[in-house]
Amino acid sequence: MLYLVGLGLGDATDITVKGLAAVRGCSRVYLEAYTSILTVGKEALEEYYGMPLILADRDLVEQQADEILKDADVTDVAFLVVGDPFGATTHSDLVLRAVHAGIPYKVIHNASIMNAVGCCGLQLYNFGETVSLVFWTETWKPESFYDKICKNRKAGQHTLCLLDIKVKEQSVENMMRGKKIFEPPRFMTVGQAADQLIQIIERRREEGGELGVTEDTVCVGVARLGADDQLIRTGTLRQLLSCDLGEPLHSLVVTGHLHPLEVDMLRVNAEPDALKDLKSIDSSTFCS
Amino acid sequence: MVNFTTDQIRSIMDKKSNIRNMSVIAHVDHGKSTLTDSLVSKAGIISSSRAGETRFTDTRKDEQERCITIKSTAISMYYELADSDLAFIKQNVDGNGFLINLIDSPGHVDFSSEVTAALRVTDGALVVVDCVSGVCVQTETVLRQAIAERIKPVLMMNKMDRALLELQLEPDALFQTFQRIVENVNVIISTYGEDESGPMGNIMIDPIVGTVGFGSGLHGWAFTLKQFAEMYVAKFTAKGSAELGPAERCKKVEDMMKKLWGDRYFDPNAGKFSKSSTGPDGQKLPRTFCQLILDPIFKVFDAIMNFKKDETAKLIEKLDVKLDSDDKEKEGKPLLKAVMRRWLPAGEALLQMITIHLPSPVTAQRYRCELLYEGPGDDEAAMGIKNCDSKAPLMMYISKMVPTTDKGRFYAFGRVFSGTVSTGLKVRIMGPNFSPGKKEDLFIKPIQRTILMMGRYVEPIEDVPCGNIVGLVGVDQYLIKTGTITTYEQAHNMRVMKFSVSPVVRVAVEAKNPADLPKLVEGLKRLAKSDPMVQCIIEESGEHIIAGAGELHLEICLKDLEEDHAGIPLKKSDPVVSYRETVSEESEQMCLSKSPNKHNRLFMKARPFPDGLADDIEKGEVTHRQELKARARYLTDKYEWEVSEARKIWCFGPDGSGANLLVDVTKGVQYLNEIKDSVVAGFQWASKEGALCEENMRAVRFDIHDVTLHADAIHRGGGQIIPTARRVLYACQLTAQPRLMEPVYQVEIQCPEQVVGGIYGVLNRKRGHVFEESQVIGTPMFIVKAFLPVNESFGFTADLRSNTGGQAFPQCVFDHWQILPGDPSDPATRPFQVVAEIRKRKGLKENIPSVDNYLDKL
Repeated sequence: MLYLVGLGLGDATDITVKGLAAVRGCSRVYLEAYTSILTVGKEALEEYYGMPLILADRDLVEQQADEILKDADVTDVAFLVVGDPFGATTHSDLVLRAVHAGIPYKVIHNASIMNAVGCCGLQLYNFGETVSLVFWTETWKPESFYDKICKNRKAGQHTLCLLDIKVKEQSVENMMRGKKIFEPPRFMTVGQAADQLIQIIERRREEGGELGVTEDTVCVGVARLGADDQLIRTGTLRQLLSCDLGEPLHSLVVTGHLHPLEVDMLRVNAEPDALKDLKSIDSSTFCS
Repeated sequence: MVNFTTDQIRSIMDKKSNIRNMSVIAHVDHGKSTLTDSLVSKAGIISSSRAGETRFTDTRKDEQERCITIKSTAISMYYELADSDLAFIKQNVDGNGFLINLIDSPGHVDFSSEVTAALRVTDGALVVVDCVSGVCVQTETVLRQAIAERIKPVLMMNKMDRALLELQLEPDALFQTFQRIVENVNVIISTYGEDESGPMGNIMIDPIVGTVGFGSGLHGWAFTLKQFAEMYVAKFTAKGSAELGPAERCKKVEDMMKKLWGDRYFDPNAGKFSKSSTGPDGQKLPRTFCQLILDPIFKVFDAIMNFKKDETAKLIEKLDVKLDSDDKEKEGKPLLKAVMRRWLPAGEALLQMITIHLPSPVTAQRYRCELLYEGPGDDEAAMGIKNCDSKAPLMMYISKMVPTTDKGRFYAFGRVFSGTVSTGLKVRIMGPNFSPGKKEDLFIKPIQRTILMMGRYVEPIEDVPCGNIVGLVGVDQYLIKTGTITTYEQAHNMRVMKFSVSPVVRVAVEAKNPADLPKLVEGLKRLAKSDPMVQCIIEESGEHIIAGAGELHLEICLKDLEEDHAGIPLKKSDPVVSYRETVSEESEQMCLSKSPNKHNRLFMKARPFPDGLADDIEKGEVTHRQELKARARYLTDKYEWEVSEARKIWCFGPDGSGANLLVDVTKGVQYLNEIKDSVVAGFQWASKEGALCEENMRAVRFDIHDVTLHADAIHRGGGQIIPTARRVLYACQLTAQPRLMEPVYQVEIQCPEQVVGGIYGVLNRKRGHVFEESQVIGTPMFIVKAFLPVNESFGFTADLRSNTGGQAFPQCVFDHWQILPGDPSDPATRPFQVVAEIRKRKGLKENIPSVDNYLDKL
């Protein structure tokens, strides 16, 4: 049996009771360590679970998935995923391979950023398509996420923006030479995300395009959701540019139409004057 | 020999109209360096202690020993033209004094890259042709390059002494020989150059105009028609009329020159010129050239060489030649040399030809600018170049690196095209990969020192204005081989040089003592800098590879590396050849590869180029820098591409400029441009290291037919797309009947008739095939031209010599790539063996990976 176990968002103790039982009954336990991270390290998890963990990096999951699935039909293998196995991550391929190989699988769910983000006060019902903001390079500056945010906003929906994390990434040169030399890990902060968005906004403004999101759009930055020191900060995009939310991981929400109750919730963590320019569309709908 | 202080030289540098930058180019052994000596001894600006050494420009010990030029060397000369001669110059002049910067370049094809580097910094070329052997393969190669760079040629028919003494040609036969050479040279000029309406005007050489010299560099004498015309004008006008003004005299001399060449005849009895070859009494008249020019020379030769003392004395007096007392004692050849040298000094004739007919930087940069500068033709840099304006922003091109006596450091050698370069000036140093607005390959540093370079000695100088050739200290660490130096912030690069040869022969080297590895690595870096062409590569297996143009080139490089740059004993492998991977059919299926996370899918196909396109790319007719629409038009007109596809070329590769293309033929795929960079990177990778044996690909077109992408940008980054692009490209290659291409030399072999048979034998054994065989008219020599695979060329020279009793001399020059027939996956074929050898050498898995490794199922 292949168990896909969600670990939740905070620390070692966030695993569900059911998940912990499954892990303890497995002969091999893999910890997926590249699409997200916990605030605690592998050792803390091993200690809590009482099991040795095998770190599964991108290479192992994507290139050598068969190794993970080896003997999974006769013994139990667990694949631990930070958050929820089918949350923000993309492990469908592993499941498909298991199915093709005739290996039964079971998913043990947990909290994911996709639902935990609700704690900022915005209602999950009102979220549109989730997007990722990627680190730009000298030559690669995709902007497609901006269009999607605008599309969501036009429909009145909030947009959860997952921010890029780069763990064990090779440079192109090293990839070509087949050298397993990895760049130092990088995590995008809310400030960096706001900066990229504002760059796009400025560029589009020069081109004279219609702007679905501006520097004055109200956004929410969240950091280390689920951990004890989690932070939520509501402000205009411009305000968030200079905010420092500390250690990774960060996410950003761009608001759409706001219900009065949502506004009240946002106010709890708002920067000064962040919400003063809200326009009311009708008596129960606001918009920035 | 003039002895100048640096200040004096510096003041001449400001007179831009009186500068002549020129290269001496020729086939190997046609006598460039010897001829250059006669110029240097006449006008060189060097300290007198250096004077008198022979082969002045061959600065290296091995050059002197082998009597072959390996590196090009620059020297400066100062020449004062007589007042009366200034009238001959058809461009602006600024006084009598001329600064001539001459670059002597190698004649052996293996060192052609040195010629290319020399041509870039000069405006004119003295083409030297051995009048006995005529126009040879390397004459054509270098002349072609010169024309392509808009370098104006003048011709020197060298080794006339051989024609007279060894071949004993009759005057008329000699005239025919000369005329044939002139025609041959002009055929090359007209084939590769623009016509008379081009920006350079008429650049055909013509004895009547005075752009052809005749003589013997070894004996130190030479003349153009001008010298004889002056003699005869003086003789005919001396009777009676008073002294002529310069303009009037010039007119007369020019008229006279027209009478001295071609089908013009002279009646010696009547002392009259005639346009027909028969005189009034029906007698046959001699040509003017034979009667008035060759005849006196023949007489001198005849009298001296046959020891006719009285006649000799009479002639010497008649020619008004003053001999030194010790010369008077001589007889035979030494006397002949002394007399001819006094009568027709080579330096005088050639320096006149150079100053009168070669363009100044002011003249040349006007029409060369568009070829030199990549940026817009009207920005500040371009205007500065066009006007040769020393007040404009600095634009300088570094064409090569010259080793200093200080080990491991180099002078950056180049030409200032605009502005003024000075010690301490803060400049932008831009390598070939720089593109405007980006920071890649760009350094902003002050220049440590500017220096004058003359032969083997250098002199510091405060600053150097445009139009001059100069060396820079402290730039070598920022440039690999070549680059642009400027003070203009928006400047584009000066165009990179196109070499006529490719580094197709390679050897692997390692240090005999493994502890010397760091020295080897450092030495390889220096070697790469010191030679414009050589490539030093580290293979994945850790092997150090040196790639050069030919056997001799490699031999010299290895020697330099061992003795100079690394200074350690080396182990060298046998030379091996670079191959190219290509395809011969369109991919038999649509190839699909999925990204590692399986969310992205690329669909592509490969197909071979139409014939000629790869050559066009390598020649620079079609380039990655070309304007999109112009390129599309070219491709549709010449190769019948669809316009819509021709405009959607994503890139060239490998290295962004190679002869493989990636074309987007998709229809309406969203966010495609967001993965373009990654696919391009994968394409550069795959085209550099093909699937067969990791050699470069060539002449393959890859079409992107369709793409499925993950909705979110984070799941389609470089880490996902680059390896996928590479895999699908390999799948395309392997499903498109992959083939191997090998490089082929054109060899030209000169030999006497009786050994031609031996040549055929050797060529047959070496898979060569002869495509032309002709006799050099007027000589017993034969010229055989053949194609020879480079792989078979190792030891070819030695083999040929032993089979022809040492009488045949081959010159090999890279000509084209040729498909090695046979399927590389079939063990019975030759390509299979070649691939297996390369894979073994590179430390790859034994067999070509099966296509299943790269192909995914839907």
